[in-house]
Amino acid sequence: MAATERVAGPGALVAAALALPGVALSPAAQAQSAPDAAFVQFKYLDYRDWQGGGRRMRVDSPGFYAVKPLSDSLVVEGSLVYDGMSGASPLYFNALSGASGEGVRDYRTAGDAKVTKYFERFAVGVGGAYSHERDYISRAGTVEVRAWTQDRNRTYAFAFSGAADRIHTESGAADRESKYVLDFLAGVTQVVNPTLIVQSNVTYSRGHGYFTDPYKLLDRRPDHRRVLAWLTRANQHFPDSGGTLKAAYRYLDDSFGADSHMLEAAWHQSLPQGWSVTPSLRYLSQKAAWFFYGPPVGSGLRPGQPYTADARLSAFGALTPGILVAKQLDDGWVVDLKVEYYQQKSSWKLGGEGSEGILPLSARWIQLGVGRSF
Amino acid sequence: MPRVRVSFRAMAAEHEIVVDHDDERGAREAIDAAIADVRRIEAKFSRYRDDSVTGAIARAAGGAPVAIDDETAALLAYAATCHALSEGAFDATSGVLRRAWDFRAQPPRLPDRSAIAALLPLVDWTAVERTPTTVRLPRPGMQLDFGGIGKEYAADRAAGLIAARGVRHALVNLGGDMRAIGGQADGTPWRIGIRHPRPGPDRPAAIAWVELADAALATSGDYERCFEIDGVRYSHILDARTGWPVRHWQSVSVLAPLAVVAGSCATIAMLLCERAPAFLAGQAVAWLGVDGAGVLRGTLAP
Repeated sequence: MAATERVAGPGALVAAALALPGVALSPAAQAQSAPDAAFVQFKYLDYRDWQGGGRRMRVDSPGFYAVKPLSDSLVVEGSLVYDGMSGASPLYFNALSGASGEGVRDYRTAGDAKVTKYFERFAVGVGGAYSHERDYISRAGTVEVRAWTQDRNRTYAFAFSGAADRIHTESGAADRESKYVLDFLAGVTQVVNPTLIVQSNVTYSRGHGYFTDPYKLLDRRPDHRRVLAWLTRANQHFPDSGGTLKAAYRYLDDSFGADSHMLEAAWHQSLPQGWSVTPSLRYLSQKAAWFFYGPPVGSGLRPGQPYTADARLSAFGALTPGILVAKQLDDGWVVDLKVEYYQQKSSWKLGGEGSEGILPLSARWIQLGVGRSF
Repeated sequence: MPRVRVSFRAMAAEHEIVVDHDDERGAREAIDAAIADVRRIEAKFSRYRDDSVTGAIARAAGGAPVAIDDETAALLAYAATCHALSEGAFDATSGVLRRAWDFRAQPPRLPDRSAIAALLPLVDWTAVERTPTTVRLPRPGMQLDFGGIGKEYAADRAAGLIAARGVRHALVNLGGDMRAIGGQADGTPWRIGIRHPRPGPDRPAAIAWVELADAALATSGDYERCFEIDGVRYSHILDARTGWPVRHWQSVSVLAPLAVVAGSCATIAMLLCERAPAFLAGQAVAWLGVDGAGVLRGTLAP
């Protein structure tokens, strides 16, 4: 047999060497060590969505993210986002196109900060977040603990977070309403071998208060919601080709009834000269909320009972192809561009039987990021 | 934080492991585990021992395929990558040339050209028949060895075994090829001198210094085993295609994330001569070369 291996690209020897038993990069180079370099990143998001041929909503969102180690074991990170939104919020369905014609114009500022202290075998993080727009104020806090085995091949994560939101619209639809949500997360990440990492997280979320969308006609949602989500991810690296397959599956059980299956696959390919490209495809199949009613609007409405005609709570399937292109420059600069296109159709629901009368909904994201580590 | 330092001899070289760790007993246990693994690898792949895996493969040359375990198969796969990336200059079957080249002979003497020509048909990595579980050398007299890989592989494994016991600051130095876990306990990197390839009373022992933390450094030089005849230096770095020593670099040191990568890159760089800089750039490693005139070259050169 011809004794040649497929070899290519910068660092091909490192990739080949990692296939040797017992050979691994230094633990400090892997996850779970305090980052040893500061990193700042500026991202600009341009979002557009449209339904039934008419443009709906646009968001231009500059964002800023920074992480800085204060010492060997203490890291602080934070982000700021400023969104400008304009356009109509998503249509109910084709029978009502134009119903939200007066449109929405709003700005949102949001920021969060987290401090993480790393110890020998575990790390504790405490963070807070604040978001403000004209009609919606959100405050949230989070505590997370991560612990790892001595060989660092397995990491356990536990997080607890709470958010208190205040909703008040000028129209009076929401009059000083509030919403409280508690989230619990438990997860495990296992390095199976030098090329395979598997992660599984369970998140349980429980909230009460105002879940209604005040900008939607007749919208009235239950005042309690609990969501159980189980997410499993696997990253398999293929040293021969310098590529990594990233697969994920999420099952979500929602007391609103909008249970969903999400399946995602992405291929990250390293290329010469610091380039990388990551095409991805995500499929989501969702059941309708039990209080969702299709067109004509108002059909199914019973006084005093929950009701929504929001297409996002209908039964549908959605596909999101995307691509991320990144280039690592000299001196620690990284530039990346991400483009995603979302299309939602009733007929794409798993097993068919999507909600009737809903026009396909499309959206696209273009996000440009420029970052640098120091 | 106490420092534990243990020197030992294996694989025909002097080794040293330095560990900074709170728990001195834990540090010693970590070092013992690492040394045991180095000795295991030496026994398994020694070219000097008949009972080694490489010995068994060589004895079966020209005969039936030999069953190999995953570790041996992984090392052979890595050797294949080195062969491909070096355009054939790195060849794990080239050890047979040592039958003609005796660097210990006194007085030194050059081998007969006919002796080398007779050995060259036995140097042919592309003829090695490899499956994931077997290997076969097709011609009697062929042999395999893991020079430029084996000792460095042992250093990486030793570092892994030590780090797995919670040690955060250690330096594994196997005969001058080393792998660092973190830096020193005081937060500074390990400071490693690169040996002057032409030492002399008026010259410093180290031609340069390299700082190492969570990385590996290996050096290949024409001074390790060599002789001079009529002012010409003949070193043990033999070109697998000609059977004769290469002559371009006095030494090449490579800084890489793994010792096995540093070691194979340094050896391949010596073999590739003037094409070494392009090869090393392609492997994204940092390096320091001392060229034939004694001038420092490479990304680490001042």
